[in-house]
Amino acid sequence: MTRSRASRLAATAAAILLFAASGVAVSPLSAQDAAPSKTLAPGKGADLTMARCALCHEIAHVTRARLSRGEWQDNVRNMIERGMPIAPEEIPIVVDYLATYYNRDTAAPTPDPAAAAEAAAQDPVQRLLADNACVSCHGVEQKIVGPSFREVAVRYAGDGGAGARLAAKIKAGGAGVWGAVPMPPHPGLSDAQLAQMTNWILSRK
Amino acid sequence: MTDKTYPAMQDEKLQRLSRRGFITRVAGTGAVMAAGAIPRELWAQAAEAPKPPADPAGTMPNTAVMAEKSPLMKLHSERPLTGSVPAEAHNFAVTPNDRMFVRNNLLTPDIDASKHRVTIKGLVDNEVSFSADELKKSFPVVSMQGMLECAGSGRLAYVPNASGTPWLQTGGMGCPKWTGVRLRDVLRAAGIKPGAAHVAGQGGDFGVIASAAPVIRSVPLSKAMEENTLLAFGMNDGPLPKIHGYPLRLVVPGWVGSASTKWLHTVTLLAAQFKGTFMDSSYRIPRTAVRPGEKMPPDAVVTEAWPVKSMITYPAPNAVFKAGKPVLIEGRAWVGEGAIDKVEVSFNEGASWQRAAINSGGGKYAWRIFSHEFWPQTQGYVTVLARATDEKGNVQPIVSAWNPLGYFWNGIHRVGFMVET
Repeated sequence: MTRSRASRLAATAAAILLFAASGVAVSPLSAQDAAPSKTLAPGKGADLTMARCALCHEIAHVTRARLSRGEWQDNVRNMIERGMPIAPEEIPIVVDYLATYYNRDTAAPTPDPAAAAEAAAQDPVQRLLADNACVSCHGVEQKIVGPSFREVAVRYAGDGGAGARLAAKIKAGGAGVWGAVPMPPHPGLSDAQLAQMTNWILSRK
Repeated sequence: MTDKTYPAMQDEKLQRLSRRGFITRVAGTGAVMAAGAIPRELWAQAAEAPKPPADPAGTMPNTAVMAEKSPLMKLHSERPLTGSVPAEAHNFAVTPNDRMFVRNNLLTPDIDASKHRVTIKGLVDNEVSFSADELKKSFPVVSMQGMLECAGSGRLAYVPNASGTPWLQTGGMGCPKWTGVRLRDVLRAAGIKPGAAHVAGQGGDFGVIASAAPVIRSVPLSKAMEENTLLAFGMNDGPLPKIHGYPLRLVVPGWVGSASTKWLHTVTLLAAQFKGTFMDSSYRIPRTAVRPGEKMPPDAVVTEAWPVKSMITYPAPNAVFKAGKPVLIEGRAWVGEGAIDKVEVSFNEGASWQRAAINSGGGKYAWRIFSHEFWPQTQGYVTVLARATDEKGNVQPIVSAWNPLGYFWNGIHRVGFMVET
């Protein structure tokens, strides 16, 4: 039994005990009520899963869940019915990822040191764009839901104040400049991360 | 227990499904996939999907929605926006707007009422359409207090956890006063054709991508023709707030909230239940209980009226009282169809029960207010339980039967408080 499995079992047991023994009408599953992670566990398929799922809903809907493989298959099927854009060959990658890292019956594998090293070696801006689901809605060259990064760079070319405004826009979210569909806010990004992202985006022209 | 119930063929089914609609196999997506971007070909097709008939000016930001809500409202999700206040914040006879739960499937549309119309079509003699003002002038305007509760209300109480919005054990409901015209009057004006058996509502909310499936739900004609089923334009004596469906919504009281389509623009009379993901895959519950952790059985049924339920709205958890002075325990009890027969309270973990007083109620689909005067004699921690029974003899369970999507939690609610000398 791995450590995470043990701690999860302990948390479940504590939650059940709390429900059974406590007179307090707090949510009986306080253990699940903690703020779920806003990033996915690193692993094969994580970036693809983030990009496909976080297009329409926050990724916490995934990270708080612990489901069986069958339930994840049902979930992905349901999301495809609801309009999820996904290529057929991507489906098993996403299902395998979810059923591996967010499974109630089996512990998530410990991080692969090679994969961790690879992620660490990755361009930090690409990592930020993937972790924050930016690439769900923005292509480098291609308008998806929002404008392409190149369109943004071209629009603000020569505008010295664009970096700060763009950073504020990414952090606060909103709609209007490029259309009616709002960009979600990203309050968790630090000023340094925002600067990295905006410098990279504005240099795409 | 993981995969036994799920044969490998399901993966093929998934793939067929993704090919069936707007998505086709895309060659050479590997490089793009690594970054997670949507392949151009996929995107082009997703963007070509038909748009909803309503043409909202835009969307209402979450911050604007929440500015109108009680600070006690806890968000369960920002995308899509969902939130509720807990039981102790529901101690009102009629739910105020700022305490009414929020459950979007898509974005919150910002609709221009002067351009908005609702069209009645399908199995009708004449397709007709009305603005909210025309409805007010053409049909009797009625008001009623009616329960709405999200099907997933209470989901976090299920063990193991069920998939979906993490609704707290209490609070994903409300019982405001609604004002509108009877849906049946409008359907009769259109002329109901023989063979019409179900009525579907569609609203003007939309997703970030055009391929997002519209949220369409249908109810049997009998419920649509019930006199309390409204095309509502008012809530608590004012206009509908935007988050609650302005300028026009269905109110199907007592039934799962998703039947009460917000931002309503189309009502379609059908010969059979609407076929769509929000009828066929979501909002379903097994006919008979399944082993916890199992997936939805094929013969599951669509959720309709809520089972009997209650919650304690006073005191708040861990409130402190003095021994020797009475504490007026208060709560709400309701059932989706039918009437509350009695509410009982227990101060010994259910070993014995006492009848609570219940008020005469605010109407057929309004919750009932129950109360019980408790005299704490000695110092100590007290736990009160409440359970309601409906007129058919259905009584709230200790724990609701587990179901894969975590609907219809109606387990007994309990609140603990402290008595000091």
